[in-house]
Amino acid sequence: MSEKDGKGALEGQGKPVPGAPTNAPGSTGVEPPPPGPQKAPPKNPGFVTCTIDGKEVAARPGTNMIEAALRAGSDIPYYCYHPRLSIAANCRMCLVEVSSSPKLVPACQTPLSEGLAVKTNTGAVKDSQRSVLEFILLNHPVDCAICDQAGECKLQDYYARYDFMPARAGGPKILKEKRKVLGPMVVLDQERCILCTRCVRFMSEVAKEPQLGMFGRGSAERIDIFPGAELDSNYSGNTVDICPVGALLNRDFRFRARAWFLSEAPSICTGCSRGCNIFVDFFGQETHRYRPRENEQVNKSWMCDQGRLSYKYVNKERVHTPQLGRGSDAREATGAEALAFAARKLKAFFQRPELAVLASPVASNEDLLACLAFARDALGAKAVYVGGRPEGQADELLMTADKNPNRTGLTWIAGGLGLKLQPFSNLLEGLKNGSLQAVYAIGAELPVDIASTTDALKKADLLVVQATNHGPLTALADALLPACTHVEGEGSFANVDRIIQRFRPAYPPIGESQPHWAWASHLFRELGLTDAYGSARDVFRKLAVEVKELSNFDWDKAAPPAQPVPGLQPAPAGADGRPPGYREWGTPRVRGT
Amino acid sequence: MAKPSIPSQGPADAQLIPADSELEAHLPTKRMELNLGPSHPAMHGTVRMRVELDGETIARADPEIGFLHRGFQKSCENVTWTQCLPYTDRLNYVSALMNNFGFLNAVEKLIGLEIPDRAKFIRTIGSEIHRISDHLTCVGAIGLELGGMSAFLYCIEARELLVDRVTELTGARLTTTFGRVGGLNRDLPAGWLESVLKTLEKVEALTAEVETLLTNNRIFVDRMKGTGLITAQDALDFGFTGPCLRACGINYDVRKTKPYWIYDRINFDVPIARNGDNFDRYLMRIEEIKQSSRIVHQAIELIKPGPVIVDDWRISLPPKPEVYGTIEGVMAHFKLIMEGIQVPAGEIYDSTEAANGELGWYLVSDGSGRPYKVHVRAPGFAILSGISRMVEGRLLGDLIPTFDTINMIGGEVEQ
Repeated sequence: MSEKDGKGALEGQGKPVPGAPTNAPGSTGVEPPPPGPQKAPPKNPGFVTCTIDGKEVAARPGTNMIEAALRAGSDIPYYCYHPRLSIAANCRMCLVEVSSSPKLVPACQTPLSEGLAVKTNTGAVKDSQRSVLEFILLNHPVDCAICDQAGECKLQDYYARYDFMPARAGGPKILKEKRKVLGPMVVLDQERCILCTRCVRFMSEVAKEPQLGMFGRGSAERIDIFPGAELDSNYSGNTVDICPVGALLNRDFRFRARAWFLSEAPSICTGCSRGCNIFVDFFGQETHRYRPRENEQVNKSWMCDQGRLSYKYVNKERVHTPQLGRGSDAREATGAEALAFAARKLKAFFQRPELAVLASPVASNEDLLACLAFARDALGAKAVYVGGRPEGQADELLMTADKNPNRTGLTWIAGGLGLKLQPFSNLLEGLKNGSLQAVYAIGAELPVDIASTTDALKKADLLVVQATNHGPLTALADALLPACTHVEGEGSFANVDRIIQRFRPAYPPIGESQPHWAWASHLFRELGLTDAYGSARDVFRKLAVEVKELSNFDWDKAAPPAQPVPGLQPAPAGADGRPPGYREWGTPRVRGT
Repeated sequence: MAKPSIPSQGPADAQLIPADSELEAHLPTKRMELNLGPSHPAMHGTVRMRVELDGETIARADPEIGFLHRGFQKSCENVTWTQCLPYTDRLNYVSALMNNFGFLNAVEKLIGLEIPDRAKFIRTIGSEIHRISDHLTCVGAIGLELGGMSAFLYCIEARELLVDRVTELTGARLTTTFGRVGGLNRDLPAGWLESVLKTLEKVEALTAEVETLLTNNRIFVDRMKGTGLITAQDALDFGFTGPCLRACGINYDVRKTKPYWIYDRINFDVPIARNGDNFDRYLMRIEEIKQSSRIVHQAIELIKPGPVIVDDWRISLPPKPEVYGTIEGVMAHFKLIMEGIQVPAGEIYDSTEAANGELGWYLVSDGSGRPYKVHVRAPGFAILSGISRMVEGRLLGDLIPTFDTINMIGGEVEQ
């Protein structure tokens, strides 16, 4: 009944009333509007109620029409609109029919008003969408085959949905600069650009570094950097993300992988302690890029370039196999061998003050929980020395000076487990003066430069190191256990603002690496203790109760969805030699295990 | 109904079978279980028949399928609609074109798409050529397995000629993958229709030769008549379609009851037999070869030049110059290849008359480029399920001819 009423009202408002004085073409607009009926009170007080494609939508005043339409199930296409940028309304892709105007209006710019009837799929709207696309494509180069954006390009998407007609105009296309390097991160193809100005607006409004501008008029119009300047902002990579077409491209990622071959996993950037939410885009067991994942609380839709490039350590110089022996004596060993050696040697230091535990705040909460519990219960440690990456630059938007993703977590966990936090300098001091002789290291990142540490570390009698990447510490390790990064494992980080965030695994651990918690679990067993964990979830469930900051965290519920849409999502068939439907979710789960 | 150990076959057959009293003695026999197949030349495809024998009489026959199972239906859910097409080749691989076109026809129905007239003609011609080819294989095999090698050679000679025409048309002898949603992927090769006419002349002559060899051959008739019987009611209950159903006297042909493509514009007869035995099923095929030839002749007369595929870039690939030369073309091509045809959400059952009967498709689309569900109603599946009824209580020697005349094709039965 109500739907029928709504429809009737919509039709009444959609048609221009003959002889209506206000908006009728040709009206002079001089005479005052005739006294209309008293304005009706809003249907839903505090909300604007309007009809979009026959469906009634109640939205808060100021809601964008595109967002409101999405809620009503109507997809309005757009290029220049971005929910976190100012409205430009220059792409004209979102033109819709509204009851208040005889002409089509841009949905992104038109405020919703009480009783407004919006139609997003009438003939006029479809004609306009098709015409807009035809204009946009008029000078677009035939580049899909060599364009990095192919597969995630809004031109392709909208063309297939709203246009799908052959080109009508022949003749030469306007040539512009094909590959202009704008800065260390970004390269511009002006021919592919549709001049939506999202990048310009992003740089001036969000990054607050207006390094990009629009130059020229008409068909010579183009996006460019100001003369003599460079797009060297730490946020320049975001312009690539928000570019709806293949005009702005990431120089680091360009020509490395095809978008449709990549799988994604929701994760957290480990470049600094902000903990920006990201997608890890990977193929096989290689990470190809980080992309920001929306989180209103942390990083909105953005991430910094430094974080964006921080994926590289996940691929490069990884410790693949366990090793025994120091320096030139180093040899590859089996996991069992290395574990037996480490356990035997560490046991000798049980409850002795000469044993130091070095924990890196790059490791996840679960890793730290398990490893520090092992250090406390099996080794009798009383203190933990804080390793991790050295301090770096900070900026005003997202990047923090602390380049470790989980310092907050380490502080909480050490506190919860009753371990005293000691600075790294104390460890060096202790090693130099001989009061410390053995080190059990969870993560091999060191906060100071190599030269000053090597001498001190060399003095240690025993170095048992669990490390993801090779470094000065792993070179001196007596027993080296390969650990996996956050991309290969699952767990959580606590960021600088004390927000705990879960991440999911992208692919199984590379080589013989295992999560830190798994090594702790093996060492527990090796020492004849019963504490053992089957998964990161298990670790959290068993140990987080001891840490009051973590105890209220719902580990399962806080996990981002493993895939954007629930259900089976087969990958493109056979294009890359994988069987159809193959997804990289690691080893398939077997019932009953 | 309890069956007697030696079944009575009605008054006409009664005189052929000696009465119990005429036999010298009853030898007590132990029941014996025999495996036919799965790998045996007489078990077309790879099907196993567990036969329980009481002397020479079949007490129980249980066809066991699954040796050729490829997961056709599930595979289709993981590929685009267009990529399903090669899988359909492998259903009834003796007449792949009919599977191709049947599947495409169902997808087009789901989209609500009318294909160009020329494409309809070519699909009809291709289907009928493959129907002849399928029937020739069946008839030849019957002859062969009853010991008549010559009939087989004649049939295969004729089929080879048709295969050559199919190769010219599609580029493949067996796995044709011909046609696309919205029409055909390519037009006829130059001079193809003329060579088809010539081929048909030869095929008709060879078929006539086979007919003279078989139809009035005493040995052949004795082995075929009255064996592999099934009643019209049983056939309907089992879901028989095609020649096997029509051999029981039921007039059902999808081309007549629900004409598609150009069948309503063509004069042809649907042969009907009465007895539902092996001989009638053989005769059906001989007659259908002639009718198919008639259809092809008429279609070749009526076919007109024109486009062979719809000109809609949501469905058909743009012409190559457009792909290489315009951004619109390359994008449409990219989207169609990478994501597939966006078939509107919905479901449909559609069928065509394939060589063995009604080839039905139940398709469900969720609006994406891949099928949500593809179910194929293979005519051979229903017919194979009736084989026990046709041979139980009969002699073992009649099993193989019966298995021949129902023309089971492993590919479509097991999918």
